[in-house]
Amino acid sequence: MKMTVSARVGLILAALAFVFLPMVLGGQWIKILISTGCFIIAASGVAFMYSRLGMVSLGQVALMGVGGWVMLRMNHAFHLPFEVNLAVAGAVTLMFGWLLAMPALRMRGLYLALITLMAAGGLEVIFSTFRFPNGGEGFWGVMPSVAAPFQRPLLATEDSDYLRYIIFWIVAAFLIIEMHMRTAPGRAWAMIRRSEAAAYSSGVNVVYYKAWAFGLAGFLAGISGGLLAGGLGLLDPATFRASESIMLFALMVVGGSRGWLGVIIAGILYRVVPALFNDWTIDADLALVIFGAALLHAIITAPNGLSGQLLDLIAKLSKRT
Amino acid sequence: MVKRTTNLVVALALMVAVCAYLAWGKPTNVVGLFVVSGMAVGSLYALGGIGLVVLYRATGVLNLSNGAIGALGVMFAWQLQQWDVPHVATWIVGILTTTALALIYGRLIAPGLAWRDPVVKAVATLGYALIILGMTAFLWEDDVRKFALPSDKIAYMILGMRVTLTRLIVILAAIGIVVAVWFYLSRTRTGLNMRALADNRDISALIGIPIVKTETIAWGISGLIAGFTGLMFGDLVRLEPFVITFMVIPAISAAICGQLKNLGVVLVAGICIGVIESLLTLHPFLKSVRPMAPFVIAILVLVWLQRGRMNYFAGN
Amino acid sequence: MKKTILASLVAVGAISATSGVYASDAVCGLNNGQPATGKPIKVGGIFGNAAPGDFSSATDAAAAYFKCVNDNGGIQGRPIQYMVENDQWNPELAAQAAAKLVKDENVVAMVGNASFVEMSVNAPLYAQSNIMAMASGCAASECFESSNIVSTNQGPLPSSVGAAMYAVEELGATNVSCIGMAIPSVGNWSCGAAKDYMESKGLSGSYVLLNPASPDVNSALLEAISSGADSILVNLPAGLAIAFLGAAEEQGLADGYTWTSSTPLYDASVPGALGEYWEGKMFISAELTTIDGDGADNQNWLKVMDSYANPQDPRDTFSQSGYLSAKYFVETLNKMDPAKLDDRAAVTEAIQNINGYTSDLTCGPYYVGKADRHMPNHAGIMVGLKDGAFHVVRDCFEYEGPYFEPLKAAEKKLGLR
Repeated sequence: MKMTVSARVGLILAALAFVFLPMVLGGQWIKILISTGCFIIAASGVAFMYSRLGMVSLGQVALMGVGGWVMLRMNHAFHLPFEVNLAVAGAVTLMFGWLLAMPALRMRGLYLALITLMAAGGLEVIFSTFRFPNGGEGFWGVMPSVAAPFQRPLLATEDSDYLRYIIFWIVAAFLIIEMHMRTAPGRAWAMIRRSEAAAYSSGVNVVYYKAWAFGLAGFLAGISGGLLAGGLGLLDPATFRASESIMLFALMVVGGSRGWLGVIIAGILYRVVPALFNDWTIDADLALVIFGAALLHAIITAPNGLSGQLLDLIAKLSKRT
Repeated sequence: MVKRTTNLVVALALMVAVCAYLAWGKPTNVVGLFVVSGMAVGSLYALGGIGLVVLYRATGVLNLSNGAIGALGVMFAWQLQQWDVPHVATWIVGILTTTALALIYGRLIAPGLAWRDPVVKAVATLGYALIILGMTAFLWEDDVRKFALPSDKIAYMILGMRVTLTRLIVILAAIGIVVAVWFYLSRTRTGLNMRALADNRDISALIGIPIVKTETIAWGISGLIAGFTGLMFGDLVRLEPFVITFMVIPAISAAICGQLKNLGVVLVAGICIGVIESLLTLHPFLKSVRPMAPFVIAILVLVWLQRGRMNYFAGN
Repeated sequence: MKKTILASLVAVGAISATSGVYASDAVCGLNNGQPATGKPIKVGGIFGNAAPGDFSSATDAAAAYFKCVNDNGGIQGRPIQYMVENDQWNPELAAQAAAKLVKDENVVAMVGNASFVEMSVNAPLYAQSNIMAMASGCAASECFESSNIVSTNQGPLPSSVGAAMYAVEELGATNVSCIGMAIPSVGNWSCGAAKDYMESKGLSGSYVLLNPASPDVNSALLEAISSGADSILVNLPAGLAIAFLGAAEEQGLADGYTWTSSTPLYDASVPGALGEYWEGKMFISAELTTIDGDGADNQNWLKVMDSYANPQDPRDTFSQSGYLSAKYFVETLNKMDPAKLDDRAAVTEAIQNINGYTSDLTCGPYYVGKADRHMPNHAGIMVGLKDGAFHVVRDCFEYEGPYFEPLKAAEKKLGLR
């Protein structure tokens, strides 16, 4: 397969980050980047659905919660390796994605977005009522005392190694999406985006490929939720509110949905910027104002997202020299 | 028309069936209490949903900042009351503030996004919501506050439940707004323009409908409704900006039931959602997930409305 | 960090102008009037401040006390460098804050922590890093049931049991319905203990859980009433509690039932928000002494706040609690071997050896010990609403019920009983 310039740059940067980031950063920043990385994986799912199929998911963070829930449930119930739990979390969330796809298949645009938002709202209630398993008894697995230990991957028990592990998964997620784009599903999605009727009449199984897209986005959400659970050892329902799902989509629009750079920008805006504001002891409420203003500004002025603006700028500069 | 009637009949039959299931074997007077209490909450969902739909129909913007705007309005009104401003004046100032906030968005920000994807338009309003919410929360630190209206003191007994005048005002206002908007849209020139705009923006522009003026009026009306809703939520739910701001999400579910256009259905749906949510308290297991009711109902309604459609040709 | 910038600027001016004058009044640490010098001892603190609540008053009070100590001989002559972080109720920010303080800054202990989420997230890290957290604002079960956290405040469980005891012993309740939040480690945990208490006395108890996401508090009220209760125990955060009591007022229920509440309603803004209707009808369990308590230590807390804290910082239960944690911490370190003040393991051990500190701020002694759970504060007072203010209606009493039995046994072993 032929590699584009952007892919080459991305892989080189990922390799550099993999080697050097955990070496130079302190404990706090490693934690921040672990969270950021998890949400980058989730955002990649929203981004490809939006850019390739024109489908909007306002439920991605809630689906992450599903993945995280399964991950914690598996961890506290059985002593299986991390990767097995992660695979189960991904698979279950993938099925949740399909479940969501069933009513969503017949809709597009705002209605589709709203049905995913309603699902996110429902999941928010479930998470806040039943919480996340922390090693207790029974199906819901919640106990009042401190969470039982969480078993991280054998290769990455320390935070710094875990960050490397996350970077590996980010690259894997991008490659999985890219692989889809270059094979049959990618072609089918391109047709569907143009016109479902045209795709149907030229023999594309529209239902199958749309469900596939939902499944893939769900899978990525599940993996990222599982990885987030691994980062903290536990999860809190506040992370997975319906408004957070809207936020992730909004930041993905701001970052730009077409390439890896936009998704990375979205992740940084979602987790690094609030952490920075907090570190600078900017009032949490004022941070919200700044955040909202920046969001609004970026949506209005950069229709292709910040990554589009950035790439245009680079192109302009390279032309000039 | 036939299809519409079937929809309504099926929906109402299902609603009655669900209520009967939940209330089965419970004393009638207890059920009555929960029904009345649910109607009171449901009218709040309806009011929120109506505010969303009025604007959406005219401008194509699903305004997620409605709640935040209303919260700022009621907080401002509360603050004025602390400064001993006469109550009536505080309500008027509160509602004028929200109208101004809605107009600011409608005139300065919305036009820049007019040709974008409806979802992006909706998401952009979240940015505005965050700005307003952040400012409100910054100006009024977290504290225990209470916003009361004189109508709280007057109450009537309905099915064994005391219902304050404020709650009745909410229901009456919701009905009043539905009727008034219907009249406005069907009988006035600007109403006609709004309907044209809602149907097709490009063609409306071509045939010379004053888009900016029409939309400005729509934003103003939605700001008025948001202000009134904010005052009611501040009194009946809680005087906490975050709570009022995110009430918009369950309100969307009432709006969805009316397919984002039919105000009458939004009203009925909101009340039904409230009643079911309230009656779920009687169910031993489901009572802990009661707040899911709006979302589940909205999803079921969406699925039902799309039932005739082929899987291949997704539509709006 | 909620205080407005303007206010803090004014405050900085006020403090620098006045601290010299009042400093002699407040008693802090070695209290020798000598500014501390040398290499600072690093101490951390994590609070939560974002909607829907602000717990920063605990770390604010601890910071004020440490400032006062630094002006008065420090810890064996050395100053305390107190670093606080906000978790904004976000578990990820909480973990980041702890990583910064514990791993990057290498603090010797955590003091004054007050949050809903921080303890649940970071308890494993504290245990693993062998660091003690002398918390001041624990609100969930995880905080009390962990090896390396000990809190000065009571939290929802003892506080609700105290309220239930008052309802039974003074108001004649026989069937208490506890209204809690639908969060297992908060509502189920604390209301469950109140129910156990009722059953241990041969009475009946039940609980109703309220989902904070729901705008509807009426249903919970109706559910509580239909349970056949004759007394209602409100165990909710203040905002939600006001909404719930508003619904009860709407139904005119204040006279038909007896009403008690856990500590969140013991807040200066509550009488105004509740209004006349609840005067003489609502009784609230307070975890520490009253804000205006005239005990020497409580007065000293107020003086420290006046001289070293921002005038806008609230004077509330968490503030008292933060002051007390900080005070006990300084007392402990002043008794340590000076060579070991930077040694986290030694500091942890010294804290774990705390046994029987007393203060007029709390009803019982403060101790730590090596245990899987810590809840030294399980005796309190009750206040009632009268003339728009709080009045003590029952002085120090120790809470009863099955939950406290193991704690009492442990105290016997430590020689505290």
